[in-house]
Amino acid sequence: MSPLIVCPACDLVHRNAAPPARGGTCCARCRAPLQRTEGSSVDTAIALAVCALVLLLLSNAYPLVEMQVNGTSRDTTLIGAALGLYAQHFHSLAALVLLTTVVAPLLQIAALLYVLIPVRRRRRAPGQEAVFRILVQVRPWTFMEVFMLGVLAALVRLSNFAHIVTGVSLWSCLLLMFCLSALSSSTSPEQIWHWIERSRE
Amino acid sequence: MSALITGRSLGLLLCLECRATVRAGTTAHSRCPRCHARLHERKPHSLIVTTALVICAAILYVPANVLPVMDTRTFIDDEYDTIMSGVLVLLHSGSWPIALLVFVASIVVPLLKILALAVLLYSAWRRSPRHRLERSGLFRLVEFIGRWSMLDVYAISLLAALVQVQSFASIIVGWGAWAFGAVVVLTMFAARTFDERLLWDTPPND
Repeated sequence: MSPLIVCPACDLVHRNAAPPARGGTCCARCRAPLQRTEGSSVDTAIALAVCALVLLLLSNAYPLVEMQVNGTSRDTTLIGAALGLYAQHFHSLAALVLLTTVVAPLLQIAALLYVLIPVRRRRRAPGQEAVFRILVQVRPWTFMEVFMLGVLAALVRLSNFAHIVTGVSLWSCLLLMFCLSALSSSTSPEQIWHWIERSRE
Repeated sequence: MSALITGRSLGLLLCLECRATVRAGTTAHSRCPRCHARLHERKPHSLIVTTALVICAAILYVPANVLPVMDTRTFIDDEYDTIMSGVLVLLHSGSWPIALLVFVASIVVPLLKILALAVLLYSAWRRSPRHRLERSGLFRLVEFIGRWSMLDVYAISLLAALVQVQSFASIIVGWGAWAFGAVVVLTMFAARTFDERLLWDTPPND
């Protein structure tokens, strides 16, 4: 453990003391969070990641919502939202929607599993530094909770003139949203490197 | 306050990816010994890059609000909706909580983000020592609310995917939605390229 902590938000140097039993510490000058008390284990993180992976697959395999109007019905999946934009020649917007709802969560889960499963067996994943950096870069682009409220806004608009049937995927997306936020908060960058360094001892 | 010890004064570099502290000049090519990310004392060209991104976002904010985000075609009429008219439709259909949500996420949040980043950039260019704690808090708020403006883009893309009933009604995505997505991406990059430590680099004058 390094004897000094540098605040990422204002560059003030602090002495590294053990964080309190609950909560965490923040910078004495700018109040940015500095340390968090980490209670989770590698096993919890792997379990959450596997759970998120299953939910992500479910969300893409089944329809999100089905719309019934005048005897015809039409449904869409999670990927369907991006494909709809692609079909209307908004390629870059389709790519953005695909990135933030499917690719970023998938990459995040895959990168975590790639780094953490070997850590659990006290081994080292080849290229773990590069995979870790991909994880850190891709994480802010997971917009699952925003997507869920977007779905809600769309359904409210449609419910005026069509009958809406919710699909399996809507519920798995909702669970995925909670699962991903639990996963992000239990695998901070410091925490991941703490696990990796401990597994080398 | 005097003699505040900063990472810069001790020659310590902080890796922004893995939060390792590294003594400057100890590693070749300034790469983090732990995760191999590039190390910089401050993010390179932070102010000029962020300013450019914020100007682009401010320009695109206009078409995002003026151009239609979607076009609802039925055999009787052809209706163009901007973000604001979409909010009004929601309001008239009686679901004011959703209308409020879309209004805040799509109109208030991007505007607030652009204005807040402009204020932060202006004070960082001027190296102003005043209200640093408040400005630091403002930056964290900008980082936190950034993604919410995507809400309506998702709603529109779902509507476009669902409402394609043959010869009955269809929803065509408009260029306003594209401009909207661009504003979200540009402001997210702007928040990432802005180095908040610049707000604290000048000594407080008391």
